[in-house]
Amino acid sequence: MSPAIAPPPAPVQAPLIPPSEHPWAEVIHRLEAGGSMLPDTPENLMQIIGIYKAYAVPMDFYWRDLLYIAERVFLNPLPAFKYFPSQAYLDRPNAYAGDESQLRIWRGGEKAHPELLAFMARGETVAMPKLLHHLWHDRINMEFAEACMQAMLWHQGMGGRFNAYLESDSYRANADRAIRAFFKGNPVMLGLYKLFPEMFMEQVKQMSYYANLGLFWEVMAPVFFEMSDLYDEGGFQGVPDAMNFLVNGIFAVAGRPIYHHVYVGDECIEVIPKSEGFTWLYEAALPYVEAVFYRTAPFRGTKSYNAQAGQVPTDQSDFHYGILYADVFPVGSAGIPPTLLMQDMLHFLPPYLEELYAQHRRGEEDQLIQLGITFQRSMYNVTSAVIQALRCALLYPLDDTDPEHLLANRRFFEAQMDRFLRPEARLGAIQSQDYR
Amino acid sequence: MSPSSLLLLLALPLVAALALPLLPEGPSLRVRSLAALATASQLVVALLAWRLPPADLQLAWLPKLGLELDLGLDGLSLPLVLLTALLSTMAILSAPVDQSRPRLFYSLLLATNVGVVGAFLARNALLFVLAFELVLIPTTLLVAIWGRDRRAGAAIRFLLYGAVSGLSLLAAVLAFGWLNANGLDFSFAGLAQADLPPGAQAWILALLLLAFGLKLPIVPLHGWQPFTYSQAPTPVVMLLGGVVSKLGAYGLLRFGVGFLPDTWAAWSPWIAAAGAVSAVYGALNAIAQSDMRRLMAYSSLGHMGLLVLALAAATPLALQGAVAQILAHGLIVALLFACVGLIERRTGTTAIAELSGLLNPLRGLPVTAAMLLLALMAAAGIPGLAAFPAELLVFEGSWTAFPRATLVCLVASGLTAVYAVRLFNRVGFGRLDNARADWQPTRWAERLPALALTLLVIGFGLWPGALVGWSEAETGALALRAQPFLAATATTPITVAAAAPRTIALILAAPSPLAVPSI
Repeated sequence: MSPAIAPPPAPVQAPLIPPSEHPWAEVIHRLEAGGSMLPDTPENLMQIIGIYKAYAVPMDFYWRDLLYIAERVFLNPLPAFKYFPSQAYLDRPNAYAGDESQLRIWRGGEKAHPELLAFMARGETVAMPKLLHHLWHDRINMEFAEACMQAMLWHQGMGGRFNAYLESDSYRANADRAIRAFFKGNPVMLGLYKLFPEMFMEQVKQMSYYANLGLFWEVMAPVFFEMSDLYDEGGFQGVPDAMNFLVNGIFAVAGRPIYHHVYVGDECIEVIPKSEGFTWLYEAALPYVEAVFYRTAPFRGTKSYNAQAGQVPTDQSDFHYGILYADVFPVGSAGIPPTLLMQDMLHFLPPYLEELYAQHRRGEEDQLIQLGITFQRSMYNVTSAVIQALRCALLYPLDDTDPEHLLANRRFFEAQMDRFLRPEARLGAIQSQDYR
Repeated sequence: MSPSSLLLLLALPLVAALALPLLPEGPSLRVRSLAALATASQLVVALLAWRLPPADLQLAWLPKLGLELDLGLDGLSLPLVLLTALLSTMAILSAPVDQSRPRLFYSLLLATNVGVVGAFLARNALLFVLAFELVLIPTTLLVAIWGRDRRAGAAIRFLLYGAVSGLSLLAAVLAFGWLNANGLDFSFAGLAQADLPPGAQAWILALLLLAFGLKLPIVPLHGWQPFTYSQAPTPVVMLLGGVVSKLGAYGLLRFGVGFLPDTWAAWSPWIAAAGAVSAVYGALNAIAQSDMRRLMAYSSLGHMGLLVLALAAATPLALQGAVAQILAHGLIVALLFACVGLIERRTGTTAIAELSGLLNPLRGLPVTAAMLLLALMAAAGIPGLAAFPAELLVFEGSWTAFPRATLVCLVASGLTAVYAVRLFNRVGFGRLDNARADWQPTRWAERLPALALTLLVIGFGLWPGALVGWSEAETGALALRAQPFLAATATTPITVAAAAPRTIALILAAPSPLAVPSI
C-alpha cells in the first residue's frame, strides 16, 4: 500500500475586493458568501423552520379569510361575521400548491390545512359553537392579519404600481361598479354613497389591500409548509439552504398576478383585473416586507412612544417599528396584534420547538416570548431572502469575477445594512444564540 | 395561663438556638424547619397568653445586684412579642433553602429573637439591659458572616454604634438605680416611683435618648443603619428593621415617657423637632438613593421620625398611634425587605438602575413586584393599608402638642409617596433587558412569608381596630398631655373610639376583639 500523499495546499486566492468597513461587515461578508443575516447554526435552522410551520397554519386561515373579506364581505356595513369565512373559502384550493392548483409549485394546499381545521373545530378549550370560540378568543386572531393589511394601506407608495393605480380613473370606475352592484336595492347605502363617495372609495381601497395581502400569503403558506416537511425529511443542511428555498420560491411566483375581484351573488366584478399586470413580487411582497417587517406603526401597545418628544419621526419612511426592530420581549398584554400572532403560532408549535423552549429561560411559562424571538430570527431570514432576491434581480451573481460587479453588490448590501444601524435593530441580538 | 408560660416564650427559641448547632450535619431545609417551628411555637404561646393572660413571673436571680428574672406582659409588650415571634418566623422562612452554615445561622437568628423577646418581657431594668445587649452579639455575627461584600465594615459599624447604645443604656439604668432616693430597685414598678434629683433626670434622659436613639435610629445617630441594612442578609435585615429597631421605640416609651415624665415633657419640643428632622431627612435621602436596600433604610429612618414625634407629643392618641406605628411599620418594613430579598435572590442585584419591568407577566417577577408595590403603598400611608390608621393617629395626636413639627412630618409623609412612585416606576415598569432577565420565577414557598405579611398589612388596614386596640389602657395611663377634644370625657377611662374625632371614631368604631385585657 503506497503511503498517503497529502494533496498540495489549495492556492490562496486573494479576494477580489477589500473587506467591508461597514459596522455590519461580518453580516455583509456572510451575505456576499450566499448566507443569511441569521447565523448558520443547527439551532437557528431548527428554530426558523419550526416557527415557519407554526406560522403557516394560521397563515392558511389568514389568506383565506382576507380573500373572503375582500371578495364577499366587501363593504358590508355590519361585518360582524367577517372572521367566519364560508366553507367554500376553507375548501378553496391553494393556487400554487397541490393537484388542484392553477400552478403547482408546492405540495398540499387542496383545502385548508388539517391542523387548522382541527383547531377551528375544538380550539384550545372544548368543542363548542363557532361564535363561542370567537367570543372566548379561542380562535385564529385575524386582528393580526388586519393590522398587517392596515400597515400596507397606511404606508402606501412602497414600490410597484399598485398604490398609484388605486387613484386611477379605471380603478374608480371599477370600484363604482362594484359599490353599486353590492348595494343594489339598498337605497340607504346608495344614498350614503352619493353623499360621501370618497368614504366608500377609501373602503374599497382597503378591500383591495385585503386582497393584495391575501394573495401574498396564499403563496407564503405552502412555502412554509413545504419547508417544514423538507426539514422533517432531512432536506435542509443549514440556514442558507432555507433562505435559498425562499429565494427560489420568490422567483417562481414573482410574476403571478395580484388582483381584486368582488363577488355579488354569482357576478364577479373585477375591481383590479388580472390584466392590469400587477405582480406578486413588486406589488405585494416588497411592499409587505417594507410595511410590516420594517415600518408598521409606533402605537401598537407594546411600547409607548412620545410624538411630542420627537420619538416618532415626521416622515413615515423613517418609521422602524417592524418585527426586525420590535422589542419582542415585553409583550404579553392582551389585544396587541403581534401578541395575537404569537398566540396563534403557539397552538401549532412542532414538538421539537416545544422541547427547545422547555430547556431555556422559563420553559413553558414564557413560550410566547421565546417563540416571538424565534419569529424575529425567522423574519431576518425571510428578509435576507428578499435582499438576495433583489440582488439577483437587479445586480450581479455572487460568484461574479468582475470586481466592479462585486463592488456594486457590496454597495447594495451595505445600503441594506444601513437600515440596521439604528440602535433598536435586533440584527445584533440575533447573532447570539443567547437571545431568547 | 401559668406565669411559667412567660418562661416558655423565651425557652422555646433559646433551647432551639442551643440545640441547632449540636445537630448532625444535614440538609439546610431541615434546620430551617426546626428553627421556624420554634418561633412558630413561640407565636402560638404568645397568642395563648393574649387570650389567657398569665400573671407576672418573679424569680430571684442575682438579688444583691438588683437583677431579678421579672417577666410580664401588658398592652405595650404583648403586641411587640407577637410581632417578634411572627417576624422571626417569617425571617427564618425567608432564608434561602440552601442557606450556608445553616445551624449557626438559624441559631443566631433564634438568639436574636431571645434577646428581643426578653427585652419586651422584662419587668426589671437590668434584665432589660441584659436582653438589649444580648441582641447585639448575634446580629453583629449574622451581618459579619453572611452579609454582602462590605459586610466586615457594616458589622464593625453596627457593633460600635450598638456598643455605645448599650453602654449608654447601662449607664442610664445604673444611674436610675443608684441615684434613686427610695433605694436600689431596678424593677419597673420601682423605677416608675423613683425619686431622682432633676439634674440627674436630665442626664439619665440624655443617656436614654442616646441609647434608644441609636437603636431606632434617629438623625443624627443613624450612621450605622443604611450601611448595615444594605449589607445584612435578608432575614437579618427583616429582623433589624421589623423588631430590633423597635426596641428603641419601646425603650423610649417605657423608660422615657414612663419613668421620666417631667423631664420628657420638658424636653419634648426638642424631641419632636428631632423626629421631624428625621422624617424629612429620611424621606429626602430615600428619594436620592440608587439602591433599594438603602432606600428602604432611609425610608425606615423617616418613619421612625414620625414615631418619635408621637412619643414626644405623648397625648393618648399619639401614644396609641406610636404603638400602632411600631406594629404597622414592623410588618411593612419586613414585607419590603422580604420582597427586595426575593428580587435580589433572582436578579442578583438591588441597584435600581439595573432593574426594570419586574411586573412583566412572562419574564418578570410579577407576584413579588405586586407585593412590593403594595408594601410601598402601605409605607406611603395609602388608606386601606396598615400604616394609614397608625399615621392618622400619630398626626391627630401630635397636632395639638406640636403643630409645626406635625406639619413637617406630614410633608415628609407626602415625600414617601415620591420615592415609592419613583422606585416602582423604575423597577416595576419599563422594559426588561433580555440579556439580564434570565432568571426563574419565584416559587410559592419562597413567597409565603411576604404573602403572609401582605395579608396582614391589608388586614390591619381594613380592620384598624385590631392594630390600635392593643395598648389603649397603657398608653392612656402613660399620656403626659391631655387631648383637647378628649376634655369632655377626661374623667372617664380614655378610649380612643370615644375620644377621637369623627373620622377616627368611624375607623375604630368596631370594638376590637384583640383589645388586651388588663394584665
